[in-house]
Amino acid sequence: MGLRWYHFAAWAAFVGFMFLLPEMVSKGTLRIIIFANFLAVFAISWDVLSGRTGYVSFGHPFLIGIGAYTTAILTKRFDVPVEISIPIAVFVTMIGGLIVVLPALRIKGSYFALITLAYMELIYQLVQVVRPDLTGGTRGMSGLPTLTRGAVNGYYMSLTLMVIVAFGVWLVMRTRIGTALSAIGMNEEAVKGSGLSVTRLKLFAFLLSAMIAGLGGAFYVHYLGSIAPRALFDINFVFTIIVAALIGGASTTIGPIIGAFFLTFLLEYLRPYLPGAERYFIYGGVALLLYMYQPKGIYEIIQQGWARVRART
Amino acid sequence: MSMSLTITNLVKKFGGLTATNDLSFTIEAGQSVGLIGPNGAGKTTVFSQVMGEHRQTSGSIKLGSEEISSLSTPARIRRGVSRTYQVPRPFSDMTVAENIRVGLMPDSVLGMILKGANTDRELELALSVGFSEDDLERTPAELSMGDLRKLEMARTMATDPKVMLLDEVFAGLTVAEIAMISDLVQKMRADGMTFLIVSHDLKALEPLVDTAIAINYGSMIAEGSYGDVMASDAVRASYLGEA
Ligand SMILES: Nc1ncnc2c1ncn2[C@@H]1O[C@H](COP(=O)(O)OP(=O)(O)O)[C@@H](O)[C@H]1O
Ligand SMILES: [Mg+2]
Repeated sequence: MGLRWYHFAAWAAFVGFMFLLPEMVSKGTLRIIIFANFLAVFAISWDVLSGRTGYVSFGHPFLIGIGAYTTAILTKRFDVPVEISIPIAVFVTMIGGLIVVLPALRIKGSYFALITLAYMELIYQLVQVVRPDLTGGTRGMSGLPTLTRGAVNGYYMSLTLMVIVAFGVWLVMRTRIGTALSAIGMNEEAVKGSGLSVTRLKLFAFLLSAMIAGLGGAFYVHYLGSIAPRALFDINFVFTIIVAALIGGASTTIGPIIGAFFLTFLLEYLRPYLPGAERYFIYGGVALLLYMYQPKGIYEIIQQGWARVRART
Repeated sequence: MSMSLTITNLVKKFGGLTATNDLSFTIEAGQSVGLIGPNGAGKTTVFSQVMGEHRQTSGSIKLGSEEISSLSTPARIRRGVSRTYQVPRPFSDMTVAENIRVGLMPDSVLGMILKGANTDRELELALSVGFSEDDLERTPAELSMGDLRKLEMARTMATDPKVMLLDEVFAGLTVAEIAMISDLVQKMRADGMTFLIVSHDLKALEPLVDTAIAINYGSMIAEGSYGDVMASDAVRASYLGEA
């Protein structure tokens, strides 16, 4: 609904620019952008669930981890080729999405957020204790098959994934389902009072979110070639995902991408000055300031700026 | 096309408080009934039981000949009953058009994705409650109380009800807006809509209803023509008690 030629022109320009980027920037910068691409995928996934419906998940790595571990175990322990293990990983992650939707049928707000956090802690403990011969226990796994070699190929792989996810979600969210999911975030009772089954809508949002998280998680391990539970099921990782979506612009598709790039580069540029975890304080502060200035995020700031420019000409 | 609403021996207890006390009445298809009673009498609680927002403690609710009292709220709305709320609850970050759009949606994910919005119908509904075309892009923050009620009305009508429950439709409205909503109700009555209307503005309510029901402490205290109900001793006493 409301698709215009300039929407597609903007997407084409964005994709074209991104595909030419390896000609313009260093390999080091490309490696940073690879992480931004993956973070964008995770932030979009989080936003489909939490940004839209208002059910804030603090345990998104639970879903990402299911996808990542499923394909890691299948390829490493059972020699399953990635073409098969990744679809299986996505499917298994969607089953994980069903586990996340269960509390959301009854519990709202901070209680739901706490339960998702508990899910993440739980899986973190489980992968270390249950069958470490499969999961690699505390140390995780390395030597997993990688999909690409070199920064440029890795960049194109992550970019393709991110663009497909972003464009797909953007198209779907422009239909009435996007309106309905946002309506849940604004007033769930009134959605019911409009004759819509909120259970079905939440199920859709959670499954779509899980599908993207599974895809992102699976591709991510086959980019890295390794998996480490400590880095994956980490509260800093959770906050990076959430902050990316929030400061970019929650409940939009472009916002989480902008937020992911902004955060990744911010962290990267702070690295020489603040090599340790103090960086997270700075980015927390920057995020807070941005959020206070415009709660709807950077995307809204850009749109307002653009409207002002257009009004002047 | 029209549909009746039948409530039989309805009881609702909130802990020790009986908010609905063995209430029974029928609204014939196409009839309009006023539900009156002082503050806290239990009018809104009747609405929320008919809609399934509160489960009754006991009793039966029938839409036409179908028992609906065990169905979910969305399922009841699909059967043809819909309500407005005393306190309007718009989707705050959406435009007027989008608010109405939610009411128009089919209850199917695929249907939402594959079929676009019916913007003609959105406009038609907005105009019918007295919005102008320019209002479609406004957001609830920019709307007056009267406008919010009109929006509530439009979104309720969007679900294509056969039976409409209106809760305090005139509260906070200007004289002109009251006249507008009244005209709209009259037009829908002429088209066969069944109404149950709660209003503190009795002067505005009178011309809109065929009969009236008065309740107090959850129990029916009078039923009949509007004039008879208002003249009954029990009703006068209950309103005097309030003042
Ligand atoms: N959810 C609830 N929990 C407990 N008591 C309630 C609830 N809703 C309404 N009541 C009580 O039930 C009675 C009827 O309320 P209500 O139906 O809102 O009255 P009215 O709409 O006629 O003003 C009041 O005493 C009110 O306090
Ligand atoms: Mg009331």
